[in-house]
Amino acid sequence: FIICQFVTRHTGPETALPSSSCTDCDTTGGDVITVTVGATVPTGFEHTAAEEVKEKIGVDARISKDRGRIYFPITTDKLFQVHLLRSVDNLFVVVQEYEHYQFSESKEETLIDLQQLASKLPWTNALEVWKLNSTLKKKKGHRRGGNGSKGKPNSEAHDATAVDNEQQELPQPTAQTDTCSQDVEEATPEAKVIKFRVTCSRAGDKHSFSSNEAARDFGGAVQEFFEWKADMTKFDIEVLLNIHNNEVVIGIALTEESLHRRNISHFGPTTLRSTLCYGMLRLCKPQASDIILDPMCGTGAIPLEGAIEFHNSFYIAGDNNDMAVNRTVNNICHIQKRRADKGSASGLPIDTVQWDLCNLPIRTSSVDIIITDMPFGKRMGSRKKNWDLYPSCLREMARVSRPGSGKAVLLTQDKKCFAKAISRMGGLWRKLHTVWVNVGGLHAGVYLLKRTGALFGQTPEDVYESRGPVERQEKDDTELS
Amino acid sequence: MKLLTHNMLTSHVKGVIKGYPLLIKATEVKVNEVEFNPQFVSRMIPKLEWSALVQAAEELGQRQDLPSDLVPDYETNEEFLKKVHRVLLEVEVVEGCLQCPESGREFPISRGIPNMLLNEDEV
Repeated sequence: FIICQFVTRHTGPETALPSSSCTDCDTTGGDVITVTVGATVPTGFEHTAAEEVKEKIGVDARISKDRGRIYFPITTDKLFQVHLLRSVDNLFVVVQEYEHYQFSESKEETLIDLQQLASKLPWTNALEVWKLNSTLKKKKGHRRGGNGSKGKPNSEAHDATAVDNEQQELPQPTAQTDTCSQDVEEATPEAKVIKFRVTCSRAGDKHSFSSNEAARDFGGAVQEFFEWKADMTKFDIEVLLNIHNNEVVIGIALTEESLHRRNISHFGPTTLRSTLCYGMLRLCKPQASDIILDPMCGTGAIPLEGAIEFHNSFYIAGDNNDMAVNRTVNNICHIQKRRADKGSASGLPIDTVQWDLCNLPIRTSSVDIIITDMPFGKRMGSRKKNWDLYPSCLREMARVSRPGSGKAVLLTQDKKCFAKAISRMGGLWRKLHTVWVNVGGLHAGVYLLKRTGALFGQTPEDVYESRGPVERQEKDDTELS
Repeated sequence: MKLLTHNMLTSHVKGVIKGYPLLIKATEVKVNEVEFNPQFVSRMIPKLEWSALVQAAEELGQRQDLPSDLVPDYETNEEFLKKVHRVLLEVEVVEGCLQCPESGREFPISRGIPNMLLNEDEV
């Protein structure tokens, strides 16, 4: 290996990495350049993410055919704004995009093409943005998500023959309240050799090669070209090679760990990632002074994201489970402490109650929005329990919702059971919209419902009172036999 | 438990007709700073049971000079809104219990969490 100093490297006009002694400048060379930034978002919430980009950055985002990704232009003087986005999991700067990449017939030729690509790509601007981004993160004292691990540190490639190549969400148990400061030693670029890795994701049935092979060969060519050092775990630059059928995108990562678990320090078995919570909240458009209930809050991920991002509303998080309510309170306290440490008013507009969601201790017609992640029956609860649970839930939620203006945003994987339950509730709930999402590898639906104007106690659904425990047990058995 | 939440909570013990408002017996109360938003407060007031709020604040010794009836034009009365803000969001019951006004049944509050679960026979 040749060890080269970052500042003195010049292999050609395309790859000259700008040296800058000014770490306070917003731009490295003084000129503002425009680049395309890509973001990965929870599948199904591409439109909500694009909405957020329009709102916070003021540009139109393009939704990729490869689900779970959006692209938008940004100028380097506004780069910091991408880190304010709450609906994105990961961010990267695009080096080059090919909408219709022509793959060669054989694997050998294809891989050679990829190798040759490395020296032909327009790296300069993307690398400038990467560098700028690194200084931004250092200044911020970049806050990490609650998830301590780096996700998949050993795999650089993942294949999918299906179009959807979403990562598996594994429950991550963590006990520490202070998981925010995970120190990654960032070498000052001026002093040491650059370390990098290539991550390739490939989807499509017609490719002659695997993502491992592409990553290996492309990575090898990149290494040779820049004379960087390959390092799978302690890298400065992560080069992304995304291949989705004939769409090929080469990018450089701007986020190290996925931001999707940012608020949670105390996980439960089914904690939803914050980006998904944010997407659900945006769907129901919380207004000032809305009373928002999560009657099955688990670890409180949804109401907590709401209390932070849509803080002009008031959140009541509830669950029947001891551990759940305690974890929710722990998560709230963790955030409040972090805010207090920064010197701001720490109190959040959220409370936690232990309750039975089929018998809510809440005044009738007093809630504006109900938002929750309903038990899927795979990791928690059971399909059998859902048959009874869903109708009782929907009925009780209708009772506490404000007639005419109340809304519900419900996430569930048990689509069949939900469809059946909702079909009998036409007098109380109207379906407005459904978003199909992927949660931990399971296909689920986010249903947006509107409460009808009918007062509770007057429609056929609610006059048919829930029967006593013995009758319910019998019905349970006969219905499913 | 904040008093805004208390304002929404009701007893649902079987057979009880007037389970609202729940009486508060607090053994530990704390006051937490929450950012003041006048619009939030003024739009929340119509959603509240005002007398229940005053009664609850009284029970905690935090009423100060909150009036029994709403003042007219409270929307623009910032001083008034600040008092309401404090009582709604900043005062918290950490330990104690809530009591059903009709049946006397007590629901414990621990770490700020009211436990409203009923036993089999109470449902």
